[in-house]
This record gives sequence, structure tokens and C-alpha cells, in this order.
Amino acid sequence: MNNKLVINFIPGKTTLHKMAGSTKVLLFVLFTIAIIATFDMRVLLPLMVVPFAAIVSMKPNYKPLIFLFAFMIVTVGIIGTVMLLVVSPDVGLTHVGSHTEILQVSDRLYVTSETLWYVLVTFTKRIASFATVIAFVLMTTPSEFASGLSFLRLPYKVCIIVSLAYRTIPDIARRFIDIRNSMQMRGVELNSKRTSLGKRLKYTGAMLVPLIISSFGKVETIANAMDLRGFGRLKKRTWYAEHELTRADRIARAFSAVFAAAILFYILYTKFLNPYPVTMWCPFVKLENITKVNVFDTLFFLKWFR
Amino acid sequence: MENTTVKAKKSIGSLIVGEWNTKTIVAIAIGAALYGVLMVYGGIPIFTNTQLSVAMIIPVVVGGLFGPLPALVCCGVGNVLADLIGGWGMWFDWSIGNAIMAFCVGLLPVYGARITEGIFSVKHAIIYAVCCILGNVIAFGVITPIFSYLLYASDLNITFLQAFAATLGNSAVLIIIGIPILILLAKRYKARSNLSQDKTGEY
Repeated sequence: MNNKLVINFIPGKTTLHKMAGSTKVLLFVLFTIAIIATFDMRVLLPLMVVPFAAIVSMKPNYKPLIFLFAFMIVTVGIIGTVMLLVVSPDVGLTHVGSHTEILQVSDRLYVTSETLWYVLVTFTKRIASFATVIAFVLMTTPSEFASGLSFLRLPYKVCIIVSLAYRTIPDIARRFIDIRNSMQMRGVELNSKRTSLGKRLKYTGAMLVPLIISSFGKVETIANAMDLRGFGRLKKRTWYAEHELTRADRIARAFSAVFAAAILFYILYTKFLNPYPVTMWCPFVKLENITKVNVFDTLFFLKWFR
Repeated sequence: MENTTVKAKKSIGSLIVGEWNTKTIVAIAIGAALYGVLMVYGGIPIFTNTQLSVAMIIPVVVGGLFGPLPALVCCGVGNVLADLIGGWGMWFDWSIGNAIMAFCVGLLPVYGARITEGIFSVKHAIIYAVCCILGNVIAFGVITPIFSYLLYASDLNITFLQAFAATLGNSAVLIIIGIPILILLAKRYKARSNLSQDKTGEY
């Protein structure tokens, strides 16, 4: 499991690693907002390329990343698409605004080119958001994360919660594996093929109790140590991880100011000034051919009441 | 004696917010980390893509000991952390849903189930079960689909199916594992709290 963790605790050596925590969090938040705000393939593609370039520039250990990437493609890409095609094959009509069948299997099972475009766009969106998360996780240490959140004017107690939780994850993962191994040594079978669901639930409960009690047992010690160092006495605090801005920081800050303005303009433009009739732009659907569908008409359980 | 009567008459508002001292903050942080780890590694798969997430126990414990708002923060942060370490991208719709579900689950002290004083009766267990189911339905049946649609343009049919599975799975875990754990915790705290004031010294 330790190989699977991509969390970074040691400050790295590349330019992106050396940036201040505030810049990293700022860029991460802006990229996440931008990815959420757009459904346009022409905007999503550059937003997807930048985080991938950032990941490559940091020269990470690729093994866990490839595993995560494969996992993501299987769950979101393949299983998600199959489920979508089975449950609501005409989703393209709702979001892209047209209906062109390219393959008909049965009455309820067909493939339209619009649905495929919808799948492609949402998948690109997921991949872009995945790449942003990975890039952020790779370049940020817990204390940088906390200092960056406090730069965004979050109350510092919340920042401490985030950094403390982020820092405790490997400890808890280790304890979890220890407890699971010792339980398995005493004959608790957790393999899904050999035990029934009820038994597994019972065993997991038995495993959770020591994990929860031993983890929460540390609370008092940590809290006392923090109290002794004067935590929570003053309204503000400074951050050890925050340092003077490097050259890369200044460039990134200037870029993020422009980027934020661009996002704001984009949202205003696409939502209010010049709204596109449906959610997604599509290269092979002309603007005048678009049919609008009420979302509530597509819900399967509302059809039962009609 | 005066001290105990003052303690008993806490207003609902202060019960909801909870006490935000250092201990609470550390407990929320550790709870969030536990939630994140269990969310990623501690699931019991039932079908493909659906699993009973054991992580649902954490808001029960945090809510029981510290109140609903700490449970909400714990679950929200925990879910964001789970997204960060799980590496499946940010799903803010589900984070918000989970946070609200945790708030409903963590209402324990508000209706008088004070775990820290060892109070947890059958009545409380029934209210707890109702709260869990209602919280899940509100969080995953209403709030998550709205955000899913607005933020990611997810297909609502699929979101509702997933929400249905999540509601069933979470409620099952919350009730089947949650109630025994609450009884256990209440017993542990009761064993420590049955100290009575020594009156022999008073003449």
C-alpha cells in the first residue's frame, strides 16, 4: 500500500516544488474551478495538457501513477460508459442536443454519436481533474497545503485540521495494515470468495474497533503537545512552510491573476451574455438543429408516475 | 453540583457547533485521516463500482463525541483527502453530500445521546437510525444530484442509481456497525464516569 501512496512529504528539487504553498493552492483551486466551469472540448484540452506537463516536469515515480491512471480508466471510462449506455443511452440528446443513431442493438439499447461525444467530454473532464489533483499532490507537502489554505483566508484552525489529517494518513494506513495482518494471523478471513457478506461485515467491525480506539487514543497526546506550544491562543499565526516568493512564484501569481480574470469572464460570457442552448458544444451538431430537452423528462422514476 | 446542572442545560446551538478546543481540532483531523484511508482502502465490494464503505463509522464516532458540526468538517475534509490520495479526481458533489450526511448522523448529542457521559438508550438508537436514513436520503437523493448536474453534467439517471446504492449501503453500515460501536463507546465512557463526590469529608 505504501507504494500506492502518491502523497509527497519531502520538499522536492524542481521549480514547481520550490514554489510557495500559497501559489500552489491558488493554482490548484483556479484549475479546479476552470475545469468545473467548462464543458467545451476546445477549452478542456489545454486545461488537461497543462497539469500533465506539470507532472512530467516534476519527474515523479511513475509506478503508482500508472496504477492510478489504469484504475481510473477502468472504473470511470469503461464501467461508467457501459453503465451509461445501458441505463440512459439517449443522454446525448439532453446535453448535446441532437439524436443520430449509429448502432441499434434493440429498442432500449442503441448508440448515438452524441452520446459518444458526451462520454468523451465528461471523460476528458474527469482526466483533467485527475491530472490536476495528481500534480497538486505531487508538489505539495502538508504544511505547504495548510499555509496555502490560510492564504485563501480560511480560518487557521481549519488549515491545521487539513494539514494534521494529511500528515496522519501514512501513520493510519500503517496501523490499519498492522491490525489487518494480526487479525488475519488469528484466523479472520477477509477474502471475499471464502466468506459471506455478513461475516465479513462482522470481521470488519471487529477490525475497526482497535483502529478507531488506538487512533483516537492519540488525540489527547497530540492536543496536549499543541496546547503546551500555545496553539489557539492568538487569532492569527504564521507558517513555517511559507517562504519568500521565488521568480517562478511571481510568474505563477501574475499568470493566476490573468487566469482568474479569464475564468470570471468565461463564466459570465457562457452563462449570461451568450449562453449556448445545451450544455456541450459539439463539432458535428449545427446550432440551428439543436433540440432542447427538459432534464426532468429523462428521469426514469418520474416516468412511472405519469 | 451547580456545575453539572449548568452542563445539562446547553443550548441547541452550542450543541450543534460543539466545543472547538485543541482536542476537538486534533480529533477532527485524525477522524478525517481515518475517513480518507478507510474510504480508499477499507471498502467491502458488493458489485462492481458499489461498495459498503466502512468509513461511514467515523462521522458516528466524531459526531457522538464532539457534535454535528465537527462531524461535518471531518467528513468534508476526509472526503477531499480521499479524493486526493485515491487519485480519481475531485468529486465535490459527493464531498458536499457526504458532509451533509455526516451532519445528520452526528446529531447524536442534540437529541440527548451523550456518549461522553455514557448515555445511549434504545430510544436514542431508534432516533439515530431514523436520522441516518433521512440524512442519507437528503444528502444523496437531493443535494448530490443537484451538484452533480450543475458541476459535472452527470447523467441524472446514473447519479440516482448510485445514490440509491450509496444510501442503502451507508444506512446498512451506519446501523449494523454503528449502533454496536456507539453502545461500546458509551459503555467505555460510563465505566470512567461513575465517580461520585466523596461526602465523607463534609461535617
